[in-house]
Amino acid sequence: MDNIPMKVQNQIAMLQQLQQQLQTVLNQKAQYELAVREARKAQEELKDVPEDAEIFVNVGTIMVKQPKNRVSSSLNEKIESLEIRIKSLEKQEKAMQARFEQLSAQVKEALEARKPPEAA
Amino acid sequence: MVKSVEESDVRELQALQMYLNEYTQQGEVLARQLELLMRQRMEASAAIEALKELKSVEEPIVLFPLGGGTTVRAHILDPERVLVNIGADVIVQRTNGQATEYLEDRIRELEALEKKVGESLQNIRAQVNEIARRIETGYEKARGG
Repeated sequence: MDNIPMKVQNQIAMLQQLQQQLQTVLNQKAQYELAVREARKAQEELKDVPEDAEIFVNVGTIMVKQPKNRVSSSLNEKIESLEIRIKSLEKQEKAMQARFEQLSAQVKEALEARKPPEAA
Repeated sequence: MVKSVEESDVRELQALQMYLNEYTQQGEVLARQLELLMRQRMEASAAIEALKELKSVEEPIVLFPLGGGTTVRAHILDPERVLVNIGADVIVQRTNGQATEYLEDRIRELEALEKKVGESLQNIRAQVNEIARRIETGYEKARGG
């Protein structure tokens, strides 16, 4: 690492940082996707429940009774809001991946250029 | 690192070590997931057993845990009215039979997931073994060279 130019060393550090950021974005996206799946499944389950059935929603440490239509619309809102966040994370992911590829190509090029010519 | 090892070999060994760490970490995550799925499945099985038992007893009296090893006697007023958490913080009232059916479906889903995660874990473990073998061979070569 000592004989690698400072510029390339910086680029490598940026690559590592970018990789960590990308991982964070991917983890967050996976969490939101899981939450959307869970909300959709709950929405499906709700369809089989009679209109007058008792439905409760976890609010902090207590469970509050709510009418079916209200629970259903809050689940829809939750799904919509999570989908928006997922789309935004997908945009970030794409941009980061493009930057990552660009940077790694630059680093690779710089390192290749430093290699001693191979014996014929 | 052994001095006689070529620079390219060193780089390859470093890359292999990196892959090994990465795969080992992935394997640990999958093993934890598998454990969680198994625990959830066992919990669902135990709940089915409890629901069936409550239904079969004429006057269901249970010991309600208060923590610290203390319990109080509790009378289940209506074992037919069961509240089921269907996810996303929503809890719905179901009959005893419907709750049992829901849990049975959940168990089937969990079993399918366990199978998938188990297969991925096996693949990762095979990769880990293969990389470890290649690293070992690399070091052997370095020692011999």
